[in-house]
Amino acid sequence: MGVIRFQRVWRESLFTRLDFRAKLLIVAVISLVAFVWESPITLAALALTVIIAALLSGIEAAYLGRIFRLMMPLYGLLLVTHGFWNTQQVRVLTGRETLTPLFTFPSAWPLVGGGGMSVEGFVYGWAVILRTIVLILVLPLAIFTTDINQIMVGLVRIGIPYKLVFIFSSTLRFFPLLFGEAQAIIEAQRLRGLEPQRMGPLQRVRVYARIAIPLILGALVKAQQLEAVLQARAFTGSSARTYLHESRLRRVDWGVILLGLGLFVTAMALYVWLGVGKFAWLIFPSAPTPVPHR
Amino acid sequence: MEPPEPLVQFEAVSYLYPRATRPALRNISLDIRRGEFVGLIGATGAGKTTLCLTLNGIVPQFYGGRFFGRITVAGMDTLEHPTGMLARYVGMVFQDPETQLIANSVEDEVAFALENLQVPREEIRARITYVLQAVRLDGYERKHPSELSGGQKQRLAIAAALAMRPALLVLDEPTSQLDPVGEQEVFAVADELNRELGVTVLMASHAAERLAEYATRLILLSAGSLVAVGSPDEIYPQIELLERHHLRPPQVARTFYLINKAGHPTGRLPVRLEDGLRALDSLCAQCTLTPPSIPPEPQGADGPALVSARDLKYTYPDGTRALNGVSLDIRAGEYVVIIGQNGAGKTTLIKHFLRLLEPTEGKVLIGGRDTREFTVGELARRVGYVGQNPDHQIFNASVKDEVSFALRHLGYPAAEIRARTSASLEALGLLDMQDMHPLALTRGDRARVVLAAVLALQPEVIILDEPTTGQDYRGAKSILDITRELHRQGKTVIVVTHHLYLMPEYARRVLVMGKGTLLLDAPLRQAYHQLDVLGATFLEPPQAVLLSRYLERYSAGELRLLTPEEVAACFIPGGVERGSHQIPESVA
Repeated sequence: MGVIRFQRVWRESLFTRLDFRAKLLIVAVISLVAFVWESPITLAALALTVIIAALLSGIEAAYLGRIFRLMMPLYGLLLVTHGFWNTQQVRVLTGRETLTPLFTFPSAWPLVGGGGMSVEGFVYGWAVILRTIVLILVLPLAIFTTDINQIMVGLVRIGIPYKLVFIFSSTLRFFPLLFGEAQAIIEAQRLRGLEPQRMGPLQRVRVYARIAIPLILGALVKAQQLEAVLQARAFTGSSARTYLHESRLRRVDWGVILLGLGLFVTAMALYVWLGVGKFAWLIFPSAPTPVPHR
Repeated sequence: MEPPEPLVQFEAVSYLYPRATRPALRNISLDIRRGEFVGLIGATGAGKTTLCLTLNGIVPQFYGGRFFGRITVAGMDTLEHPTGMLARYVGMVFQDPETQLIANSVEDEVAFALENLQVPREEIRARITYVLQAVRLDGYERKHPSELSGGQKQRLAIAAALAMRPALLVLDEPTSQLDPVGEQEVFAVADELNRELGVTVLMASHAAERLAEYATRLILLSAGSLVAVGSPDEIYPQIELLERHHLRPPQVARTFYLINKAGHPTGRLPVRLEDGLRALDSLCAQCTLTPPSIPPEPQGADGPALVSARDLKYTYPDGTRALNGVSLDIRAGEYVVIIGQNGAGKTTLIKHFLRLLEPTEGKVLIGGRDTREFTVGELARRVGYVGQNPDHQIFNASVKDEVSFALRHLGYPAAEIRARTSASLEALGLLDMQDMHPLALTRGDRARVVLAAVLALQPEVIILDEPTTGQDYRGAKSILDITRELHRQGKTVIVVTHHLYLMPEYARRVLVMGKGTLLLDAPLRQAYHQLDVLGATFLEPPQAVLLSRYLERYSAGELRLLTPEEVAACFIPGGVERGSHQIPESVA
């Protein structure tokens, strides 16, 4: 009860059947495109596609909701910072010397008086938010739809040393144990009469910092035990080993890889030659040719 | 017929860990022959784990230190062959079920070592099927280790070791953290592997009754030295030798030792229950049974209930119904033991007394007030809790700071903090250690530090959750002796344990839990003889109880004996005497 496990979707779909390497390539393509595009329109389309794909693959809407709730403060911060202060970059991207004010603070107000939010900055803030949505959701789409063993074999097949892959897998295995221990320690502190909810922030930090002592010592003991276990299981860390699980690129995987590469090339070509995905695309049509980035 | 050839040979082996001043092993010479099931016994610190780790070269190849003498396994010198190669011959199963499972599914756990040894995939598949059948885990291939019970986890660790087809299977206290069901599972599987597949087994364990049943030979270690080697029939009857080395013999052996000592020679002391029952037959044919007079059941404590549950139901967020209508009253000054298999709801019940969980339905009252009226911190001043793992409950750099930790944070005046801390340290015999780092102490002493820290808050109720798990006999007794002292001082004590044989000396009342319900709430003497109720929650009564039940065929009525001393007293003219035949004070 209460054990944290590696998240995994159980619905069978194209996503679960694909080889992890094909999925990694798609993740790389989507991430690169999201980095290059600045247009809120294309980024919105991309974010929507990723969200739909995540839902279709079986990732729960509640999970997506949790992510959005968690990210909400950051989104607010992005809108404010870009809307108010990102004037120079937005001028370059739109090619406009003067930005359209959305609203302005009365000049009598201290510190912020006379300052204001621009429409272009506000829109650019939205573009950045959409980009983060794409980047945050695309990796779980690949990882949650793949069995951990397939991830391991896939990573080894693309040339990552087995030792590193093993560290990744062990982290997934042992993190829940350490998390459980941290909870047990916090519980033990509460049972010694500590009531963090009644403490000031500083005192609370000091009390929680004490979790580190038993937790680190416990982790060290576990690490030593684990080392003995690994020795007893003939572990050397060498990549020269066999694998129970296969990682084979089938025709569908090759198809997805080619499709991903094709989409990437197309997106870049459209971006360079037709401006599709550039910030001003379709939104600020009257804007003159953008001045180059400094 | 010639004895089988030795699989393992120790020749004058001594070993010191790095920076240690005393050897962990001293001049050990012994052979382990193919096909044996060898039990390794000894108190905590005797050198059992170190000896196990020498067999696949982890000591000294991984730990370093100074090693003298020579060990060969299947003819290979453990100093000259890397641990990876020795792993093919020596399978290891460790104590902690959690740490030794490293993969994310049952089949991957078994496959891990084979992958490291570059066994082809088809062969790995075949071996997975074979070993999971051997440990009765077939059908669990895709399960995550966290979904398995403790016994299943240890069986999986055995399967993982077995997959390498080792000639020797070494198990280092594999059942010390398991409930009786898990313990039985592990011993049964090791026995099957030994008898049916011919795997040589070396198992370190404190489970005397099980070793007497399954082992073909015992090795007794003490302070790193080899004290005795022989069959269970040769070692376990040497009660004085065992007690000198802080070991507990099987209860049946102790019973007949006491009978012999009282002047009824029974020949060789039986060490297994069935032998004990046969010996009782012949004993009863020779002499008259004079059952000791058992005092009437103690009356329950008077006064209002201190801890109460009213139709308590609790469902975990994942939908698991852990408590299903539990109602009980524990009065001030009682000593109560809660028993039941893992998952019976014991810990969930206790967490309600501490308000770490809130009832889904029903209510919990402390001193007549609903626990919802208290914060966890407020309740902690009335109900002290000592968990199973003391290391989760230690946060400070000195014993004194640890004991005064809560007092300081709760804003007690400095003089009161000093007074309470000193009193608590003194009560637990920790005054000499007050400036030491708690983690520099032994596990038993660390448990006492936690207990002292809890006592500093002067709670009315002390709850100990499996305080004897992972402890040897001496360690377990030492903690329980403290609880007895606290009980004498008027504290209400609640202990959760699987070790039924330890409790007659301490507890008066038993709550038997099973499947989230209270199966039985009775005085200890009555509860231990409700074999059907104990069986319903997969608990085995102590051997003395089973001997007592068997003796009833020779007596006019129920005997309801609990301990070897009481059973032996049946054959001692004049009944129970003080001293070695004393009826435990708590149940008398």
